[in-house]
Amino acid sequence: MIQLRLAGVIRESIVDGPGIRFVVFAQGCPHQCAGCHNPQSWPFGGGFTAQPEQIIGEMLKNPLIKGLTISGGEPFCQSAAMAQLAHAAQEKGFDVITYTGFTFEELLVQAKSDPTVWELLSHTDILIDGPFIKALKSYDLQFKGSANQRIIDVKPSLEKRKAMLIHL
Amino acid sequence: MITTIVKRDGREVPFNLEKISNAINKALQASGMSDDKLALALAIDVSRQVSEESFARKTAPTVEEIQDIAEQVLIDADLSRAAKAYILYRAERTRAREMNTRLMKTYEEITHRDSKESNLKRDNANIDGNTAMGSMLKYGAEGAKIYNEMYILKPEHAAANRDGDIHIHDFDFYTLTTTCCQIDIQKLFKDGFSTGHGFLREPNDIASYSALACIAIQSNQNDQHGGQSIPNFDFGLADGVRKTFARRYRENLIRTLEFAVGRTTAADKVKAAAKTIFADSQLAPVIANDNDYINQEYALLADAFDAEIVRKAQAFSREQALEETDRATYQAMEALIHNLNTMHSRAGAQVPFSSINYGTDISPEGRMVMKNIMLATEAGLGFGETPIFPIQIFKIKEGVNYNPGDPNYDLFKLACRVSAKRLFPNFSFIDAPFNLQYYQEGNPATEIAYMGCRTRVIGNVHDPKRQIAYSRGNLSFTSINLPRIGILSNQDITEFYAKLDDRIDLCIDQLMDRFEIQCRKKVRNFPFLMGTNVWLDSEKLGPDDEIREVLKHGTLTVGFIGLAECLKTLIGEHHGQSAKAQQLGLEIVSHMRKRMDEAAEKYKLNFSLIATPAEGLSGRFIEIDRKRFGSIPGVTEHEYYTNSFHVPVYYPISAYEKINLEAPYHQFTNGGHITYIELDGDPTGNLDAFESVIRCMKEQGVGYGSINHPVDRDPECGFNGIIGDHCPKCGRSESEQPPFERIRRITGYLVGTLERFNNAKRAEVRDRVKHLNVTADAREMETL
Repeated sequence: MIQLRLAGVIRESIVDGPGIRFVVFAQGCPHQCAGCHNPQSWPFGGGFTAQPEQIIGEMLKNPLIKGLTISGGEPFCQSAAMAQLAHAAQEKGFDVITYTGFTFEELLVQAKSDPTVWELLSHTDILIDGPFIKALKSYDLQFKGSANQRIIDVKPSLEKRKAMLIHL
Repeated sequence: MITTIVKRDGREVPFNLEKISNAINKALQASGMSDDKLALALAIDVSRQVSEESFARKTAPTVEEIQDIAEQVLIDADLSRAAKAYILYRAERTRAREMNTRLMKTYEEITHRDSKESNLKRDNANIDGNTAMGSMLKYGAEGAKIYNEMYILKPEHAAANRDGDIHIHDFDFYTLTTTCCQIDIQKLFKDGFSTGHGFLREPNDIASYSALACIAIQSNQNDQHGGQSIPNFDFGLADGVRKTFARRYRENLIRTLEFAVGRTTAADKVKAAAKTIFADSQLAPVIANDNDYINQEYALLADAFDAEIVRKAQAFSREQALEETDRATYQAMEALIHNLNTMHSRAGAQVPFSSINYGTDISPEGRMVMKNIMLATEAGLGFGETPIFPIQIFKIKEGVNYNPGDPNYDLFKLACRVSAKRLFPNFSFIDAPFNLQYYQEGNPATEIAYMGCRTRVIGNVHDPKRQIAYSRGNLSFTSINLPRIGILSNQDITEFYAKLDDRIDLCIDQLMDRFEIQCRKKVRNFPFLMGTNVWLDSEKLGPDDEIREVLKHGTLTVGFIGLAECLKTLIGEHHGQSAKAQQLGLEIVSHMRKRMDEAAEKYKLNFSLIATPAEGLSGRFIEIDRKRFGSIPGVTEHEYYTNSFHVPVYYPISAYEKINLEAPYHQFTNGGHITYIELDGDPTGNLDAFESVIRCMKEQGVGYGSINHPVDRDPECGFNGIIGDHCPKCGRSESEQPPFERIRRITGYLVGTLERFNNAKRAEVRDRVKHLNVTADAREMETL
C-alpha cells in the first residue's frame, strides 16, 4: 500500500488555484527557500502518513471542492505516491494543480531517469513551478508567491517538451 | 412634638400632618373605605409615635421612618387591606424614584462620556453618539424607554424585558410607530408625490429617479424606526432609463438633422413626429428597438428630409443615445450611493438604513440600472471607500440569472465580483421552496425581497390574495432568550418546552398590546408612509382615520437568540457538534414556528418567526445571565450569545458544513433569516470559489445569504484586502496617519470603523473563525 508523507491538509482553500480546493502539503523539501511559508514541511522525516484513498474520501465529502492542489514541501520528492493521488483525483472528476520548487525543465530531465516524475506531471493539469524567491515576492500575483514562478498548462507542455504558460 | 422632617435629598422641611393623613386616606380609598376623620386620627397617631422616637434620638425623623410607622399603625388598627395598599403605593413610588435616578445617571453618561468609553452610546453602530444630534436622540430614547416601562407595559412584560427573558426591540419607539416597509418605488413615482414639505412631479430622467428614490427612503425612515427597502429597484428605476433614452435619442436626432440640413425646422419636425406616434400608438424610442417607433418616425420624417440622411441620423442617434444613457445611469447610480451614505434622518443623527433588491428585470433598461449600480458600488465612494449603504440584495432565480445562458447570468457574475470586493450585494434565492411558493412569473411583487438586516415579509393571512413583498413591512418584534430557558430547564426537554411555550405566550400577548397602540394611530401621524400611500391600502384612508385595518398587512414577529448555547445547556453539544443536537435544534425552531402559525390563524394577523439580528442584544442577554448563573462553559463564558440559529462563530467548521447545517432553519424562520460564510481575506482573486459558495447556498435551500470577508484599505497606497498592523503592499504601520479603514459587517449592516461597534460585537468579530482558507501566509493545516 503506497503511503503519502504529509505536513498537513487544508480542506477548503481559495488561494491555491481557482475554485475551492482541497490542499495536501507534502512533507520534506530540498529547496528550503528563504521566507518559506511552511518551514515545518522541510524535514523528510516529519509529518504523518496517509493513503491516497483517504484523501479522496475526504474530498468527496464536500461538494464545494472543485479540485486538488498538491503543495509542499516538494511533491516531486515523493512523485510515485503523489502521482497515484493525482490520478485518483482526476478519475473522480477533480482537476489537479501541483506546486513545485523545481522548474518544469528540471523535471523533464528528472523524468528521463525516474518515470514516476513523468507520471505525476501527466496527472497534473496545472503546474506552478520554480522556487520562492523572497526578493520577487509580490501581493499582486495570483496563486504565485514570487514573480519568477510560472503557471504552466501541463498537457500541451509535455507534448511540446516546452513550458506553455496559462492565465488562470 | 415634631417640627421638621428630613427629606430623601437631605433637606429639612417643616412637618406637615396633612400630608400623612392624605397618604393614609389614599390607602383607605384603595381598600374601598375612604374616611377623612379616620385618616386624620391615624395620622395623629403616626405623628405621636414618630415624635417619641425622634425625641429620644434628638434628630428630625426621615420620610422613610415616618412611612414605616404609618404602615405599622395601619396594621395595628386592623386595616390590613389599607396597609397593603399603602405598602404597594410606597414600592411603586420607590421604583419610580429609582427609575428617575437611573434616567439621570443615563443622561449623565450621554452628556459627559465619550462614546469610546460608553457602550450605551455605541448601542447602534450607525449612529455617531458623539454628535449633538446623536446625543439628543439618545436622551429621547432613554427617557422614552423608562416612561414606557413604567406607564405603558403590563408589569409582567416589563419584568420579562428588564430581566432579560425577552427583549422588546426598538423599545424607545414603543408607542410611536412600526418597524419597516418595502417601498414600491414604481407606484410611488407614478403621478408624483409629496414629502409633506412640497410636491414632487413624476420624475422624467434617471437622474431624478435616483434622487427621488433617496428622498423616498429618507422620508419614510422618518416615519418608522427600522430600515427602508426598495424591493423593485431594477424594475422601478428602469422607467427612468427608458425616459432618459427616449429624450437623448430625440435630442441627438434633432442635432444630427440640424447639422445635415440646417437649423430651421428639424427640432419642430422631430418633436411633432414623436407626438404623433405617441398619440397614435403610445410608442417611444426604446433601447431594444423592438417596437415600430423608428419605422413610423422614418415614415414621418422621410417626407421632409432626405430619406438616406434620416436613416443614417436615426442609427447614429440611437447609438449615441445608448452611450449617453449608459453614462447618465452610471452617474445617477453613483449619486444614489453617495446620497445614501451621506444624507441624514432622525434629527440628523443617523444615515437612513436603506436596502435595495434587484436581479430579475431582463429589460435592457433594468439591466442597465443593475450593471451601473454594481459598477458604482465596485468603484466605491469619493476616495474609493466601501459604501456602507444601501444594502444590496441580488435576487437569484433559475432561468433568469442563475445558469450560463440565462438572460441575466452576466449580472450574477458581476454581483459575485462586486460582493467579493465590497461585501454587497448579498444574495436571495427565489427558488428556495418557501420563497418559490409565492412566486408568480411576470409579477415582480411576488418575488421574495429581504430588508437589509434579514427581515422577510411576504405571506399574508390577513389578505391571502395579496401575498406580496411590496408596500408592507414588519410592525414590531420581540426576541426570546433561549439559553436562559435552557439553563432553567436542567436538561429536562419537557420542562424546556413548557417554559418556552410560556415565553412565547408572553411575547404574543405583548406584541398584541403593542399592536393595539399602533392601531390607534392615525394616517396623519405618518405623513409619508400613510399620507403618500406607500403602505398597502393606505390610499383607502383619510388623514384622521385609524390605521388599524391597513396595519394588518404587516407582520408581528417573535425572534430568538442563542440556539447554539441553548442546545449546549440541554444536551451538552450545539448543532455544529452533533447530529443529535441539530435534530433537537430543528425541533425547537419548528416548534416556535408552529406556535407562530397558530397565533396567525387565531388572530388573523401575520405572526412570524425571525432569526433575530442581535446588535445590542448579543451582549445584553449574556451579561444578565452570567451575573445570575455564573460562567457556564460553552454557554455564558463568551461575551455574546450566538445570533439566532447560527453555528457559533468561534466553532471551526467548513463552509459546506455550515451552509448544510443552517439551511434547514431558513424554511422555519418566515420572518427573516440569513446565513453567513466567513473568509479571512480578499476573495477577488478567486471568483470561481466565491460563486461556488453562493451556488452551494442556493442548492442547500438557503433563503438569504452572504459572504463576510474583512475589507481593509490603506488610503495611502490604495491596497484593498486584509491588513494586519502593517500594510502588506507599502509596509506602512497602523499608527501612522491616515489610519487604515476597516469595514466589517454587524447585524447585517456594514460599519466603517470598529470604534462604533459595541463591546460584545467587537468580541464577536475577533472570535469569528474563517470557513475557507484564504491567506497564503500562516497556513493553518490539519492532520488527518
